[in-house]
Amino acid sequence: MDSVQLKDVSKSYGEFVAVDALTFAVPAGGIYGLLGPNGAGKTSTIRMLMGITLPDRGEVALFGRPFDRRQLRRIGYLPEERGLYRRMKVLEHLVFLGELHGMSAAEAGKKGAAWCERLELADWTKKKVEELSKGMQQKVQFIAALLHEPEIVILDEPFYGLDPLNTTVLKDALLEFRRGGRTILFSTHRMDQVEKLCDAICLINHGRAVLEGDLKQIKARFGRNNVQIAYEGGGDGVALQDSPLVDKFNDYGNYVEVRLRAGADPQELLRLVAARNRISRFELMEPSLEEIFIETVGKSDA
Amino acid sequence: MRNVWVVLKREYLERVRTRAFLLTTLLLPLFMGAVMILPSKLASMKSSAVRHVAVVASSPDFAARIQHQLDARSKQLGTRFLLEAQTDGSPAAIARLQQRVAAKELDGYLLVTDKELAAGKAVYAARSTSDFVESASLESAVSTAMTRQRLASRGLNNADIDSLFSRIDLDTITLAGGKQSRGNALVTLLASVTMMMMMYMTVILYGIAVMRAVLEEKTSRVVEVMLASVTPKEMMAGKILGVGAVGVTQIVIWWIMAALLFTAGLAGGGAAMSGLELGSLKLGYFLVFFLLGYFLYATLWAALGAMVNSEQEAQQMQFIVMLPLILSTVVMILVIRQPNSPLAVWMSFVPFCTPLIMYLRIVVQQPPFWQIALSIALTVATTYALVALCSRIYRVGILMYGKRPTLPEILKWIKYA
Repeated sequence: MDSVQLKDVSKSYGEFVAVDALTFAVPAGGIYGLLGPNGAGKTSTIRMLMGITLPDRGEVALFGRPFDRRQLRRIGYLPEERGLYRRMKVLEHLVFLGELHGMSAAEAGKKGAAWCERLELADWTKKKVEELSKGMQQKVQFIAALLHEPEIVILDEPFYGLDPLNTTVLKDALLEFRRGGRTILFSTHRMDQVEKLCDAICLINHGRAVLEGDLKQIKARFGRNNVQIAYEGGGDGVALQDSPLVDKFNDYGNYVEVRLRAGADPQELLRLVAARNRISRFELMEPSLEEIFIETVGKSDA
Repeated sequence: MRNVWVVLKREYLERVRTRAFLLTTLLLPLFMGAVMILPSKLASMKSSAVRHVAVVASSPDFAARIQHQLDARSKQLGTRFLLEAQTDGSPAAIARLQQRVAAKELDGYLLVTDKELAAGKAVYAARSTSDFVESASLESAVSTAMTRQRLASRGLNNADIDSLFSRIDLDTITLAGGKQSRGNALVTLLASVTMMMMMYMTVILYGIAVMRAVLEEKTSRVVEVMLASVTPKEMMAGKILGVGAVGVTQIVIWWIMAALLFTAGLAGGGAAMSGLELGSLKLGYFLVFFLLGYFLYATLWAALGAMVNSEQEAQQMQFIVMLPLILSTVVMILVIRQPNSPLAVWMSFVPFCTPLIMYLRIVVQQPPFWQIALSIALTVATTYALVALCSRIYRVGILMYGKRPTLPEILKWIKYA
């Protein structure tokens, strides 16, 4: 059963088409990444999933059944535009949001306190929201999304603006959440997060899905014709750009990344480089998601 | 329904616990009480002001009569006049008086020789003539003194003259619903104005609180989290009901405070307070019309809060919403004087004015029951229609950031499914 399913969903704001006949399915259990450049329609899509806006056309299904507001209690949501009642105390705020999801005040209070303990907010539960830093407020909202133990969590840019430490804390919480067999859907424009976390993705651009499915399969489809080479001597002698073996060349400073022309033999490239430099690393690998992203989005824009 | 309750509860508790609530609850009645009691207190305060005035009269007897009249009034006036009489009205004498005024030996002089009186006038020359109450007292003292003098010259004795001058106090009694309540016009006026202004202030206070709350949710983006579990309608309903409940709480506290004030006999300005007693019969209506006005205006203000992006933007448009309320206070005195005039009756049927004007009519003079019922029904119906309209604006508006919507855009919002 798919946890979330969109079929041919479209949404326009006036002349602007935000989502254009979008179809994708999020399998139950696992982490699903909704990927796309800024303004691709990620937030518009998520808002329709949450019933905040209604699609102009198409169907949204949750838990295998057509959208119904009552299903929302089984969903946790972290919106892109964060916001809390500034003058409310942290724990009271969590209790309030928990109650709105059908929890009793006592239960929400207990779980909220436990979460605050875990995310290092224990000293702040009696403080007003406005006294917290942005990062801490974001953690409070993160707790609010998970507090009622939803079966699906939908997070819009969950790590945006967080420092690496807090990112790790939240990531760990999400991974643990997935181990409980729950579904996580999150949107981002950061490829590295998707590579590390996601089981499946949907890449959207201009409101349309340009790439969808299991992340490993997608990568396999693009083939292992990428080579990362690190060598000593700055590479002044390597004229890889002009080599007939090379389709694309990227110098990242500490290493270079090369995409082989179709049919080219990586061993030949190794010999070519080794002839002139001391190689410290030569690795044949899948294309990075970033590359796939840039290429696919570039193609769909063209 | 549970969601509405949770939103309502939060709104209520968060507000009742603030210092602002405590302060308005305590200070507004104090302020109102001060407005009602202070003038009578101030009037009864003995003023230490003394005016030295020379009186130029043809007979010292006449000057004494004027002094007598002024003494009788000095308590009410707060100013004591010390007169010194002289009969010499020659230009040289007048010039001397002017010098003494200039030298601050005198505050002024009064010229009331027979010549002046025959021409029907008197002259008061003084350093400061801006106190119109003082000059009015002088004028009336002089006329009374003159009348008494003329009556005396026709052979009437002082007792006869006193009986001629005895005053009649008009005792006004309001007949309503078979009951009669004693009150004088001034007290009714004060009580009516007070009650109406309380209504005006509470409706605006709580209506604007709703707008601020909506605006805060919008600018702080709390609305995004809320909408994950609550519909815009539930949110708006919970908010309006929650803030309204705070208003009702405050009014009930005021009732209790007023009741305590009466039983403790702390009512300082006795006469003024007996007017409130008249108002106490109308306190039930106060709650009814507060709720009518509050729901009507809070609905409008909620939509306004959803439409704009900042307090400044809101202020520009608030005026339009407040206009009927302001208009109602403008015609207030007219309605108090003639509660059954066509203007008063028709305005009390306009739902946007009903809460103030109909309530005012009830305070001043019980209107026919069918009129009260009709005005309530009209207001409820209007509010119902406004809720349908405004909840549509609200639903779209709370998620719209950026520039203020134009009228055509708002019309489009209303049409959105």
